[in-house]
Amino acid sequence: MDIILQILSGVFAPDTMLAMLGASLLGVFIGALPGLNPVMAIALLLPLTYSMDPLVALGMVAGIYNGSMYGGAIPAILLRIPGTPAAIATTFDGYPMAQRGEAAKALKIACWSSAIGGTASALALMTLGPLLARGTLYFGPAEYFWVAMFGMASIGVMVGRDPLKGLIASVLGLLLGTVGLDQLSGTPRFTFDQPWLLGGLDLIVILVGLYALPPVLQLAEAADLKGLPASALRLGRVRLTRADVVSLVPTWIRSSLIGIGVGILPGAGGNIAAFLSYNAAKNRAPDPDSFGKGNPAGVAAAECGNNADNAASMIPALTLGIPGNVVAALVLGALLIHGLQPGPQLFSQAPDLVGGFMVQMLVTSLLILAVGGAAATRVFAQVQRLPGVMLVPTILVLMAVGVYVINGRLVDLWLMFGAGLAGYLLEKLDVPLAPIVLGLILGPMAEQGVRRALLIGRGDPMSLISHPLSAVIALATLGFILWPLLRRLKPRRPPAA
Amino acid sequence: MERRQDVVLGLVLAALGGFAAHEATSYRGASGTYPLVLGAVLAVLGLALVARALRQSGNRARPLAVHAVRLVGTGAMSAIYLALIPALGFYTASAVAVAAMPAALGLRRPALLGLGAVIFIGTVWLVFSLVLNKPLPPEIWFRPG
Repeated sequence: MDIILQILSGVFAPDTMLAMLGASLLGVFIGALPGLNPVMAIALLLPLTYSMDPLVALGMVAGIYNGSMYGGAIPAILLRIPGTPAAIATTFDGYPMAQRGEAAKALKIACWSSAIGGTASALALMTLGPLLARGTLYFGPAEYFWVAMFGMASIGVMVGRDPLKGLIASVLGLLLGTVGLDQLSGTPRFTFDQPWLLGGLDLIVILVGLYALPPVLQLAEAADLKGLPASALRLGRVRLTRADVVSLVPTWIRSSLIGIGVGILPGAGGNIAAFLSYNAAKNRAPDPDSFGKGNPAGVAAAECGNNADNAASMIPALTLGIPGNVVAALVLGALLIHGLQPGPQLFSQAPDLVGGFMVQMLVTSLLILAVGGAAATRVFAQVQRLPGVMLVPTILVLMAVGVYVINGRLVDLWLMFGAGLAGYLLEKLDVPLAPIVLGLILGPMAEQGVRRALLIGRGDPMSLISHPLSAVIALATLGFILWPLLRRLKPRRPPAA
Repeated sequence: MERRQDVVLGLVLAALGGFAAHEATSYRGASGTYPLVLGAVLAVLGLALVARALRQSGNRARPLAVHAVRLVGTGAMSAIYLALIPALGFYTASAVAVAAMPAALGLRRPALLGLGAVIFIGTVWLVFSLVLNKPLPPEIWFRPG
């Protein structure tokens, strides 16, 4: 009971509430701007949270995440340009509704659906997370090692288009995680006599480079010099009727469940949740032909599905240290900044913080109803009148100031720049970036786990799989790595004549 | 699948993995085993990528840039901006970048650029220097002579 009161007093403290409200507004703004995305925004935000109270910092992450997932619907509906990748399915029916003069109604449905999906997802996190965490109390060093390997393998195989390149990214991330002083023996590794490398590669510096510089370069390549005309962004006033709401309830329930299920799976993101929810709504509808032509249920399904993925992706992240998507990986990064090691021990290490973050995911989902209202949506839509090229230097300046204030070192700016160029190139070559980040986060846990397990087992490699639990996780890891190979070996049916 | 790109990528990764594994052999005791294994695995996976690319029959073009001139130009301007920070100071270098980069990319609206630079740099100063009190590289104008 005491811990619940402690959590609630922390979350509802004025400074934390103000941070969540501000971040939710900022999130909608970021989501509404095509080219910007929540991953980049959170990566830019993290350096600023060093000196903040951890709960305030996590509240801001929650606000930006939930806010931006709704914000992506604004240009998706008004202009058929998804503000975030997760809003692609929203364009299918949102834009046709806007074309027949129902943009305000589509935006209101998107706002409600986002809030409902996000709330359902946060409730799932609050119930399933602690249950799963209790199971992890049985973990020893070998299990910690295999959990880290499972996370690396699953995100490596599932997050990109090419499983081999995903695995390469995972190993590269783990290798980058070894740079600096060895935590167990104090031996400097890959430091090349550079004192600034002794502490290892700073996670946030690499994160900002990898996730913020590629969008900057892409915005420059697109070279939008005009922005959008005011006439494209005009909205009328509308109220959702009781009949509208009642007709959407089954869609909201179905899409919430789909989004939560997808969120728990490592590597599957909000866009997959949105597509699956949209397809389910279409298949269940009495008039499936009306989908793609402005059916409100299409907007509701897509937006509810993609927001239901948000908090659910934190379930494996907070309990096992395996992020369901890149934002969850960034949340793990935020925890690291505040001295907390992501992984199975997190719930016992900082229950007030983890519990507080879960409640914040719920509160910021509900805040969408406040910050995504008609007036705010009108304001956010107007930012699209700015020429896109103006964002290029502004993001660059925010990257520089954010990275510099971490350690006060100019060399970090160049490290960030190098990581950004590498990130741009790797993305173009279909090498996913998320496993690299995850490798940096989970690498130390994996190394400590394997070395401690071998020490306990007196160097016997079999000690890594001698317990049933470690053997099961090891098998699951192997399964994830071999899955793409097995799929390729499966004989294909000849095409029907 | 772009064959040449994947061959080069695979070779680079294999070389990186090989170098890491070789470097790890010089570390004391168990400190070197973990990076040695990772380096070796990276080298093997890199070579697997090369082998797969060489076995592939088709060759789908995969451009590395949508607009190469703008991409390289922005990369170069970004590097110049970072180099100017210690020379000019953070706010002066940033103000130059905010005004000059959109102009270099083709935006011909000086009033908007000037106003944008003043508002944006003012906001950054307000947040980082006034509210958060973060030390940033000092401005050339205010350095002791």
